[in-house]
Amino acid sequence: MSKINRAIYELQSIDATAKQNRWMNQIHPLVKLILTIYYIVLTVSFHKYDVEGLLGMCIYPMVVFIIGDLKWKDALYRLRIVLPLVCIVGIFNPFFDHRVVATFGSVQVWGGVCSMITLMLKGILTVFASYILIATTSIEGICYAFRLLHVPKIMVTQFLLIYRYITLLLTETKRITQAYALRAPGQKGIHYKVWGSLVGQLLLRSMDRADDVYESMCLRGFNGEFPFGKPKKSAGGDVAYFIFWVIVLFVIRTYPVFRLVGGLFV
Amino acid sequence: MHMADALIVPAVAGTMYVASTVAAGVSVREVKLENETKKIPVMGVMGAFVFAAQMINFTIPGTGSSGHLCGGMMLSALLGPYAGFLTMIGVLLVQCLFFADGGLLALGCNVWNMAFYGCFIGALLIWRPIMKKGVSKGKIILASMLGCVLTLQLGAFSVCLETFFSGVTELPFSVFLMTMQPIHLAIGAVEGLITSAVLVFVHEARPEMLWGVGETEEGKFSFKNTLVILGVLTALVGGILSLFASAFPDGLEWSIERITGSTELESAGGIYDVFASIQEKTAFLPDYALKGSESAVGTTISGIVGAVIVLLLCVAVSYVFKFFRNQNKETVKGNE
Amino acid sequence: MSHIHVAVENLSFSYEKNEPILQNVSFFAGENDAIGIVGHNGVGKSTLLKLLVGLDLRFEGSIRVEEIPLEQNTLNKIREKIGYVFQDSDSQLFMTTVEEDVAFAPRNYGLPEAEVQRRVTAALEKVHIEHLRHKAIYKLSGGEKKLASIATILSMTPDVILMDEPSVALDPKNRRNLIHILNEFDHLKIIASHDLDFILDTCNRVILMNQGKIIADGDAKEILTNEKLLNENGLELPLSLYKSDN
Repeated sequence: MSKINRAIYELQSIDATAKQNRWMNQIHPLVKLILTIYYIVLTVSFHKYDVEGLLGMCIYPMVVFIIGDLKWKDALYRLRIVLPLVCIVGIFNPFFDHRVVATFGSVQVWGGVCSMITLMLKGILTVFASYILIATTSIEGICYAFRLLHVPKIMVTQFLLIYRYITLLLTETKRITQAYALRAPGQKGIHYKVWGSLVGQLLLRSMDRADDVYESMCLRGFNGEFPFGKPKKSAGGDVAYFIFWVIVLFVIRTYPVFRLVGGLFV
Repeated sequence: MHMADALIVPAVAGTMYVASTVAAGVSVREVKLENETKKIPVMGVMGAFVFAAQMINFTIPGTGSSGHLCGGMMLSALLGPYAGFLTMIGVLLVQCLFFADGGLLALGCNVWNMAFYGCFIGALLIWRPIMKKGVSKGKIILASMLGCVLTLQLGAFSVCLETFFSGVTELPFSVFLMTMQPIHLAIGAVEGLITSAVLVFVHEARPEMLWGVGETEEGKFSFKNTLVILGVLTALVGGILSLFASAFPDGLEWSIERITGSTELESAGGIYDVFASIQEKTAFLPDYALKGSESAVGTTISGIVGAVIVLLLCVAVSYVFKFFRNQNKETVKGNE
Repeated sequence: MSHIHVAVENLSFSYEKNEPILQNVSFFAGENDAIGIVGHNGVGKSTLLKLLVGLDLRFEGSIRVEEIPLEQNTLNKIREKIGYVFQDSDSQLFMTTVEEDVAFAPRNYGLPEAEVQRRVTAALEKVHIEHLRHKAIYKLSGGEKKLASIATILSMTPDVILMDEPSVALDPKNRRNLIHILNEFDHLKIIASHDLDFILDTCNRVILMNQGKIIADGDAKEILTNEKLLNENGLELPLSLYKSDN
């Protein structure tokens, strides 16, 4: 089942980029997490007609992608889920909103067109921002940042364990569905008569595995609390990086800088 | 359906984050009270299981299409609502971070739309009352079907509300609703069938694994109480709906008018207002382009030209920066 | 050098009343013993190992580790001394990277981070996988996973190592490597396996089990060359011995 293969591949490729020894990867995970959320909040808070403001927000992903050596291709691939969704929701806007919000010479631009464009820009930018975080931060780093934000240990542990066992269970699922497909040629999915037993078997096996994992934890001193690695000190560079972006993004969000710059040329 | 970051505004996201955080807080407390350390690995592995199982395509008899498994309902039938809810949060977080399905900001919405309804409503109000006097194949099918259909309907309704109050679409609310609900009715029915098939299998193979069976002593959720709670819930949803509506800016008044027949909706404050005001305060000039500018709104030639120029400049500077950094690296390497 | 012994007396165990898994099992494992527990599938080898680390306390008879009886309140003490390597490495390795996993036990025991790091390094060195330290678990091969799971045990500096079917799913090269590494250890080792060649290469003493009982207990070479005894208990001569005969 290629869907499962793709998921496994995606997990592994993100993990590989996140574990590289690059400059962006060295920045403190908390800095990157907060910055990402900050950026996303600012981005979605733009008015629905504010195309130029959102164009300005492109600065962050563009700069970071270039100096962080991130791959555009991988980021674009991640748009495949969000973008169609956003398009479906936004595509009707030009039909409903005919307010004229801008005129370029003799061309009148409808509000619906602007809001459709901003919606898509928002969709792209927010996905890119998350990609920057996940492609440069290891799962351990993210968990550590969550802990600093006082996310309860049990939730962080869940996140970590789910991540750890996803690849394994995806592989098991792949095997079981392949075994099924080999004996049921020409079927696209799983026949309803075996829905219960096929998934059920997988479920029972997963439960057994969970039992083993629990035993393995207990034998190594586990008593309900998961130990998390010790903090990494944040360097001065991290703080500078953080402050720089906070200010730049804030300015873009609040002042019509681009109109001023453009005014010099137009 | 996973909400995307782009479809919501910070006020809606914040409100839903608060709601989901409260539910998560309750769940963390409850799971800690149970004091079963074994639940921790079980939750983790089962979360991964749900994720993997959702990748399987199930052929729907008589049609060419395929369905998937409903995570929330199934997890809570196995782990209970609280552990199930926390597990679902983990699954949703993995989906949003690693697969860009959903988003960091929209996580609060997604947790509410999918995990809260599936786990809390599905398990506490449907599964447990039905299983109170023992379990049978028929009851499992009934509870799964009912649970999946109802929780998906609630989820779809929330998606509509969240999108609508974020004001990103000009699509009339009623149209949006009329598209979403029937689609999710079908999806819910299929998910219900798949989920019940799996749970029936579990019941036959290892009945002790099912949660909340025969818990008669806890009279908390008798059928009567269930009705009361459902009533309160409806009132609450209605209340929240009006809160949302009242706090909402005039841009969509006309669509509210369509639904309710009146533009007059009472304002009653609430969490949404708090976030809306935070939003206003944090964004000093939220609509700077709108003010006193007859040429209109955030889209002017000078603005767009300016943005493009600045962008190109930034790209150029980044490349220069990168160039010098690489040069530096090479000289360092050369010196070594 | 470990100075520890494990004494098992009249150990009986069953999940359901009329189906005993273990019946009156007694043996004494002295320091530096390398014991292979052999028998065909389902004779209770794995159960015996799990009981030794207290994963199920519903047994009859007694288990003593260095005179400490195994019971609920001595569980932690005993588990610090005994390391158990699971058959399925993926169940054993539940953290995301090798380093995190090997550090799990020392961190749980509340050691300072510097000591944790020192132990991790030492454990990885012992099984020669220092280069895998930062690698993600899912990227490891079967053999590497097995070594990593042994390292997760070694970081607790146990006196006894129990292994359940360690050679399963290893290719010949990894298998040889594992044998080599195990022979370097000076711990008391108890290895449950139906891979008699592996036992022959790693153990000096063999306990042969059938239907929950000990059939024979003695020198590894003696038992593993006794074709009649092995055949009677559903086993065959180690392959290496067949070859030397021909």
